[in-house]
Amino acid sequence: MSRPQPDSSPHCLEFHDVTVAYGRRPVLWNIDLTVDGPGLFGIIGPNGAGKSTLLKAALGLVPLAGGSVQFFGQPLGAVRTRVGYVPQRETVDWDFPVSVFDVVLMGTYARLGWFRRPGPRERELARDCLLRVGLADVANRQIGRLSGGQQQRVFLARALAQQADLYFLDEPMAGVDARSQEQIFAVLSALRAAGKLIVVVHHDLRSASEWFDRVALVDMRLIATGPAAEVLTPENLQRTYAGPLDVLDELGRAVARRERTP
Amino acid sequence: MTGHFPLPYNTLVVAGGMAAVGCAAGVVGCLGVLRRRSLAADAASHATLVGVALALAATGRRELPVLLAGGLLTAIGSLVVLVMLRRFTRTREDAATAIVLGVSFGLGITLLSGMTARGIPGSAGLEQFLLGQTAALTAADAMLLGCLSVAAVTLVWVGLKEVVLVAFDAPFAAASGWPVFAIDTALVALLAVMVVVGLPAAGAVLVTALLVIPPSAARQWTDRVATMLVLSGAFGLTAALVGVAISAAVPRLATGPVMVLAAAAIFAASFFLAPKRGLWARWRQQRELQQEWSGAGREQTQAPAKATGEGGPWTP
Amino acid sequence: MDTLNLLGGSAGMHLWAIATAAVVAAGCAVVGTLLVVRRMSLLGDAISHAVLPGIVVAVLLGGRPGGLWVLVGAVVAALLTVWLTQVLHEGVGMSEDAGAGVVFTTLFALGVVLITLAASRIDLDPSCVLYGILELVPFDTLLLGGVEVPRAFLTAGLVFLCLLGGVTLLWKELLASAFDPAAAAAAGLPVAGLTTGLLAATALATVAGFEAVGAILVVAMLVVPAAAAELLVHRLHLVMGVAIALGVLGGIVGYLAAWQFNTSAAGMIAVVLGIEYALAVLLAPGHGILARAWAAAGLAWRVACEDRLAVQWRAEEGGERAADATTVLTRLVCLWLRGSGRIAADGRLLPLGQTEAMLIVRSHRLWEAWLGRHAELPLDHLHPPAEWIEHHLGSEVRRRIAADVGQPAGDPHGRTIPPED
Repeated sequence: MSRPQPDSSPHCLEFHDVTVAYGRRPVLWNIDLTVDGPGLFGIIGPNGAGKSTLLKAALGLVPLAGGSVQFFGQPLGAVRTRVGYVPQRETVDWDFPVSVFDVVLMGTYARLGWFRRPGPRERELARDCLLRVGLADVANRQIGRLSGGQQQRVFLARALAQQADLYFLDEPMAGVDARSQEQIFAVLSALRAAGKLIVVVHHDLRSASEWFDRVALVDMRLIATGPAAEVLTPENLQRTYAGPLDVLDELGRAVARRERTP
Repeated sequence: MTGHFPLPYNTLVVAGGMAAVGCAAGVVGCLGVLRRRSLAADAASHATLVGVALALAATGRRELPVLLAGGLLTAIGSLVVLVMLRRFTRTREDAATAIVLGVSFGLGITLLSGMTARGIPGSAGLEQFLLGQTAALTAADAMLLGCLSVAAVTLVWVGLKEVVLVAFDAPFAAASGWPVFAIDTALVALLAVMVVVGLPAAGAVLVTALLVIPPSAARQWTDRVATMLVLSGAFGLTAALVGVAISAAVPRLATGPVMVLAAAAIFAASFFLAPKRGLWARWRQQRELQQEWSGAGREQTQAPAKATGEGGPWTP
Repeated sequence: MDTLNLLGGSAGMHLWAIATAAVVAAGCAVVGTLLVVRRMSLLGDAISHAVLPGIVVAVLLGGRPGGLWVLVGAVVAALLTVWLTQVLHEGVGMSEDAGAGVVFTTLFALGVVLITLAASRIDLDPSCVLYGILELVPFDTLLLGGVEVPRAFLTAGLVFLCLLGGVTLLWKELLASAFDPAAAAAAGLPVAGLTTGLLAATALATVAGFEAVGAILVVAMLVVPAAAAELLVHRLHLVMGVAIALGVLGGIVGYLAAWQFNTSAAGMIAVVLGIEYALAVLLAPGHGILARAWAAAGLAWRVACEDRLAVQWRAEEGGERAADATTVLTRLVCLWLRGSGRIAADGRLLPLGQTEAMLIVRSHRLWEAWLGRHAELPLDHLHPPAEWIEHHLGSEVRRRIAADVGQPAGDPHGRTIPPED
């Protein structure tokens, strides 16, 4: 059964009935979501709602228990180089012996392919990306000797070096100072102006309507999606933060045990 | 002909081979330390004993290549078991590592002493693989080990970009399409090979030290992976040569422990003296910071006096 | 008695050796349980290596192997290991595993070199340090009340009793700090002190087992029984009890097997412990491999039965004939459903099957209604999740869902939701 499509060009990002489980226990239920660019798209929801998991599932970092994800009408494997990623800062050992510049250079590795080393062109690109996030002056510093906001901007510069059409950012504003937040937002706005789609996992409701063109409200399932002003209504927020989660919770445990709920 | 050399030909070749082994262990060990796979390598090194014993029992030939091939097989087998325990049981990683290490070493000891008790030819001297003894090596063996070491270093150089990417940020690497599991597998396999190559010199119990101590010492001096690799290789080489020389001079002294102590001495020096990261440098930095603070405190009379005394929040 | 004959003439000797192995294993299991649940197994590994120089120095200074000074030396070396690891971790930011790797290999190497250099003055063989000689334990005895008792047995027994006593006294505190160290510390428990105590206890257990099984095989005794017990039972005191039992069993069986096959007793004990662990992985209730395979097969069978009933019910609802069973599985399912009185020979539902089928279809359509209300899903995407969830809904949650969606008469597709009964 194919769904009616308004135009012939494929969607930038399409979640089709995606269910994600840790072990056997589902943490995201039947997400069905279509996102088109250009624009800033926010994935909003409370802690433990599975927002980051949704992002990781899209990128193939956690396996899907059901459903599929398509990018530009194709599976991820075919369009990897068109997708950029900024993971959460905590995933990384900041004592690692690499410089800021080395990290940004890593953004070019996927296009280089196996065993080829970055050349002058890649170095030029990395310098340019560092300039765009305002960190050109700390290029040779060890990565751990930066503030949290600067580290986040290094990750953003690395994603810029991927030269993607679609960017995923996982909580880029968490633990980041106000100046870095503004700078990050400015870079993202420039990307939007250049016709890119930027998908951002975000937990702060207040800033959401001001930053994002469109949002999806997620709490273990998709609650609502659309233009930020229409979705972020008191009623929807009420449903997000006081939803009937106990049913999903109880069911999840029963599924994991291969049994029935009470 | 040997008269022209101050040392016999065999000794020189063995020393050269072991220098190569020490250097390669230092280089390969860097990647193990950066990707936090050193403990898996420790489990694998204890499992080599099983393969060494089985290889002798199966072929009846007490030749180094045969024994080491057996050791490599069981080292890799132990790593497979480790991965399976992590995936299919609720046992946590640290306990799983200790289980593989302890049980495989027990099996190795059981096989070795069973074979010795049965008088199987060649089994009597296998204890040298516990703590290492280079005096027994032939020139051909040493050359083989040296060549393997050179090959290992070459492999590190070829795949450096990929391994560093995965070690620094595996989720990012996976998201941009790199086969993280395959790269990890290649790295761990290379660590297993290095463990086996280091086995005759350092022994099953201590060979991981050659993979851990030189990289840890090198890390003190630099913030760049490339420099760390070079330094670590140099430290490993030095430790290996010192180990070979001293254990050759003192009767009954195993090579492995001496190599480890030499590496530990280098580490201790690095730990105290390295610029920036060394203890001495850190202590001086902290003192300057404290002086700055107490200077500022005198100017601002309102500064809380207690905070200076504690110093806790001001340590970096 | 057969066993004694098996052991040959000197049964008393072997019994002492077995008893020593059992007591050593029991002591290690007590400490090992705490190490494993607190994720400190590798510290056990590090300490068991690092006690060597402590022992050697104590012996060089005139202590007797297995005597008090050797215990003290071992504990000092263990605490030194942990302190140095901590210094490396906090002083220069090394990761804890790399730090421990540097420290314990260095100390162990130091111990081996000391033994070799002082070989003329002390009676320790470097390779025995690695795997001990349990077989020689009965030859070094003390006269105790007219009975010759092996010194190693006395040491291990005393250590075991001390450890058991300490654990009993501090049980509440140990439990709290094992479960959640941060919360325990916040509640005012001396978590750091308890941890130090645990490390000292590890050193004691290690040194008690040192003569019998050597430095490295002690690791197996510390970690393997506790890890196996953790798979079998879920409460800390049970884990410890089962770990002790498994350790003692491993000691006895391992010694006998080693005697049988004429090989190292210490090595064989480690192997037997490994076999025990493998059996636990396979057979553990709930999470064991067999239990999981059994549960998966059971679920697959239940789903197949319920699907067949629902297919039949929907066919009868629409006044059609259900499709014939084609696969082997569905044919087996039909046979079972017929045999258990759920469907008749012609495939029609009997009352029992009717009731069960109705509940399945009710679960299915209620879940569609729930998803329609609470999740942003297009209408044609409601069926697949319901097809899966229908097998997991029980009566109570079903009632809650029905209440939540307002006791509807029909599902989002317009079909009737059958009643609960």
